[in-house]
Amino acid sequence: MADEIFEAGPGAEAARVVADVRETVERKMREGAYADARVAAAERTNLVRLSTDESFSAYYLRCLRDAVYVDISDFEIRERRARFAPLLVRMKKAIWSLLKFYTYRLWSQQNQVNGLLVTGIEAIDEKTEQRIRRLEARVAELEKRLGERAP
Amino acid sequence: MSAPGAIQSLAFVCPRYAAGGTVGGAETLLRELARRAARAGRRVAFLTTCAKSHFTWANEIEPGARRDGDLEVRYFPVDADRDAERFLRIQGEIDRRAGVSRADEEAWIANSVNSRALCDHLRERGGDYDRIVLGPYLFGVTWRAAQIHPSKSFLVPCLHDEPFAYLSIMTDLFRAVHGCLFNSEPERDLAARLYGAGGARGLVVGMGLDPFEADPSAYAARRGLAAPYVAYAGRRESAKGTPLLVDYLDAFRARTGRDIRLVVTGSGPIDARPFVIDEGFVSEADKHAIMAGARAFVHPSVMESFGIVLLESFLAGTPGLVHAGGAVLRWQCERSGAGLWFRHYPDFEELLVRLLDDDALRASLGARGRDYVRREYAWDAVERRFFQALEEESPKDEG
Repeated sequence: MADEIFEAGPGAEAARVVADVRETVERKMREGAYADARVAAAERTNLVRLSTDESFSAYYLRCLRDAVYVDISDFEIRERRARFAPLLVRMKKAIWSLLKFYTYRLWSQQNQVNGLLVTGIEAIDEKTEQRIRRLEARVAELEKRLGERAP
Repeated sequence: MSAPGAIQSLAFVCPRYAAGGTVGGAETLLRELARRAARAGRRVAFLTTCAKSHFTWANEIEPGARRDGDLEVRYFPVDADRDAERFLRIQGEIDRRAGVSRADEEAWIANSVNSRALCDHLRERGGDYDRIVLGPYLFGVTWRAAQIHPSKSFLVPCLHDEPFAYLSIMTDLFRAVHGCLFNSEPERDLAARLYGAGGARGLVVGMGLDPFEADPSAYAARRGLAAPYVAYAGRRESAKGTPLLVDYLDAFRARTGRDIRLVVTGSGPIDARPFVIDEGFVSEADKHAIMAGARAFVHPSVMESFGIVLLESFLAGTPGLVHAGGAVLRWQCERSGAGLWFRHYPDFEELLVRLLDDDALRASLGARGRDYVRREYAWDAVERRFFQALEEESPKDEG
């Protein structure tokens, strides 16, 4: 809408920048640039604001799907303090090797739960969408019939 | 200033009088319109309650008439017999969009902030006033006062797309008054959508803003702040979108590795993250300096009827970055060409990167914003629209 109204007015530059950014965003979304747990977390309060926007809920579900699994792989253990760094790193590694088994078990269970929850939400979303589509088709059919009956 | 025309005497009705800086935008707007009308030579009485807090509505100010500059402010006590518990229970149901009955709607407004003394004054002395200007829409005082002399009452609704706006008693209010003085076209469109053409009579008036000069480097220099920052001013609450702003900035810093700060002024709680600089209440001059030095003024609220702080940031030469779901703020940005709008985090990230990296873009948006506010919201222009709206059709006195 803005693009049409503000083609030559004072809002033209702003509308152009927004349109240009939206194109970039669409492309980067397809490339998975926002498949990031931090993005999903940041969007939590935006859900209510755009609850009527169908494309937003689809985007959010994608974010959620990408962010749902906790990274439980090994990671590089570092030490910022220069003094005794090798010793501290060895100590941290030893602690991690002792804890790994328990945390792995804990997080893999958490990942299972998260994954099941997202699958459940996606299934509900899909079901609701199908139901709405069926109802819309039915309403359209009824309106058509009423239109035919009218003198 | 306009010369006095057919309208010689005006009453303004508002639940609170904005004597200090701690009230909302609607109260400020009504006070400023009243002051301007008084300076333009009209007799103006500002009728309000003795309450200061919009949470307790306790009578904290001595009743009676006092002068504040050109204005006569008359304070009336809030009714002591309001059932706050019932009011809050029904309000909770309305807020959850639970679908309340007409009887509950009436009980809700009856137990909202009301003043029989104020209404009695309007009944007895209403004939003295050529026009009665009331607002905002969702308070008992406004609702009741509007029923007394509806044919010469004008509502300044400050309407948002919120559950209260959908009540049937609000349809009655908007249709009862002679007309509305809207703050923006999207606000008028919302009234038309909710209450039909009969509830959206009136003109878009808005509020005037005085131009100011502010040094963009003053705040950062005083604070010793080397990092760039974005600013927000006003109430901090979820309805205004401040939690979203903090979450977005947090993600932005983590994902882009840029050290950008958020400077906030105003009241209300805010998540105390290390990058948030909470200045609390500041003077107007300090607020303007903060706005002028910001890379962008971010206003994520979707429930505004005007957007005073956004327009102030335009006057400071700072571009706005607003939520696309907020019809009014987006309208201000589109119309002025002084701001950009985001739908979700990815838009926000890309737009903020542009604003941070492109000095020319920022300067051009900033210049447009300043011109826009000086043109559209100069007091002379607003006064003209205000009196045009009040004089457009001579209301009949209901006797």
